[in-house]
Amino acid sequence: MEGTNFLKYAFFVGCTTLGRLPGYEKSTRKLAATLGIELVDMPNSSCCGTTYMEGVDELTALSLAARNICIAEDMGLNILTICNGCTETLTKTNKILKENPEKLKKVNEILKDTGREFKGTVEIKHLLRILKEDYGLENLKKAIVKPYKSLKVSTHYGCHLLRPSDVMSYDDPNQPTSMDEIIEITGAKSVQYPGKMDCCGGPIMGIREDVTWAMGLEKIEVVNKYAQALVTSCPFCFISYERAQLMIDNQKKLPIIHLPQILGLSLGLSEEDIGLRDNKIDSSFLKNNLEARK
Amino acid sequence: MTEIIFNEDTKRFRDSILKIGGAERLMLCYQCGTCTNDCPVAKRIEEFRPRNIARLAMFGQKQQLFSSDLLWLCAGCYTCYEHCPQKVHVSEIISALRRLAFIEGKIHPTIKSLLTALSRYGYIMEIGEFENELREEENLPPAPEPAINEISTIMEKTGTLKKVGGN
Repeated sequence: MEGTNFLKYAFFVGCTTLGRLPGYEKSTRKLAATLGIELVDMPNSSCCGTTYMEGVDELTALSLAARNICIAEDMGLNILTICNGCTETLTKTNKILKENPEKLKKVNEILKDTGREFKGTVEIKHLLRILKEDYGLENLKKAIVKPYKSLKVSTHYGCHLLRPSDVMSYDDPNQPTSMDEIIEITGAKSVQYPGKMDCCGGPIMGIREDVTWAMGLEKIEVVNKYAQALVTSCPFCFISYERAQLMIDNQKKLPIIHLPQILGLSLGLSEEDIGLRDNKIDSSFLKNNLEARK
Repeated sequence: MTEIIFNEDTKRFRDSILKIGGAERLMLCYQCGTCTNDCPVAKRIEEFRPRNIARLAMFGQKQQLFSSDLLWLCAGCYTCYEHCPQKVHVSEIISALRRLAFIEGKIHPTIKSLLTALSRYGYIMEIGEFENELREEENLPPAPEPAINEISTIMEKTGTLKKVGGN
């Protein structure tokens, strides 16, 4: 796609954000509108199929994911995702079905009774990747109207945005930089810390909750030493890190911020626009770090 | 390490693992332990040892693999996938084992309940009137109606619907 005037995507919100994180969805929609990126809702879309389903029945997982991709194909639009899990599930399905005619045949046989057919005409990209590859960091830089002046944050990419790397083919799976580059564009400093690619533990929250909290708090403790907040690009990671701190009483709470929220304020959006009050750990300090409007 | 009994039955089970896409390289595992060393779950759960899961799989030790919640403790972070020097991909071995367990109707109750929700609501949680009212308060459009009939058609055709207790 050329230029930034014609960016238009099918918006795949994903269950967790739809039902639990209005602040993430709101800030994404406002961010897109501000940047001139058009997001079109996907009628009759559902859960992506989940990595859990992939783990127990591949054909079902592929078919459920393919059904969602078919909706975007009908719309003639590439998909914008904001959840690492959905991104991985849909990207993997898209790749498998484009490359493996045998599996494609099986899936289309399953889809036949729903009146749908996977054709392989669209791509799936996470918001972060779209900002980096389609919108472009130079353009993003031009859109910043209220840069942060003394803000230090750290980034958490999460696993499924980058891994498995031979499927996701995005950034460096061990030392990614794209989110840090975006953070630095806002004027904030993206502070490096040990264990950056450590998992949030979210996927086993319902199996060994205590392990999820322990994994979450370990990162919180480390980041607390270096930064004022942790920026995430996945609803599961966000919830894991927030909830770990609400469940286990750690002394110093670290605000967890969605990527479009931190970007949003520097683009001139209000706290209300980015749904900052939906964050359960008070994040109102962010606005105090903004320079006055130029 | 646990005791290994290798016979025709266990060999047959091992062969069934090897047939699953992603698990083909199991026998190349030389037990270096990179997977366990780098695993964030192994760091905190004594019994969860990806290297040992690979070893049990190589010898088809179904009983030991299926008799606890062992297979369901993997967080799916793909660290072992990225770091394995032999590209054995223990995460994919675990996935293959989960699929074989599921064929026998075995699934962790928490995961089952998520998939049951998926079959009923089209989402892993109910997003109904109540949630849509909250969304409206936040000036968000109603969540997409997920065409439940299409989802149950798919899950019925693949035989998953019954196994997750959907209807």
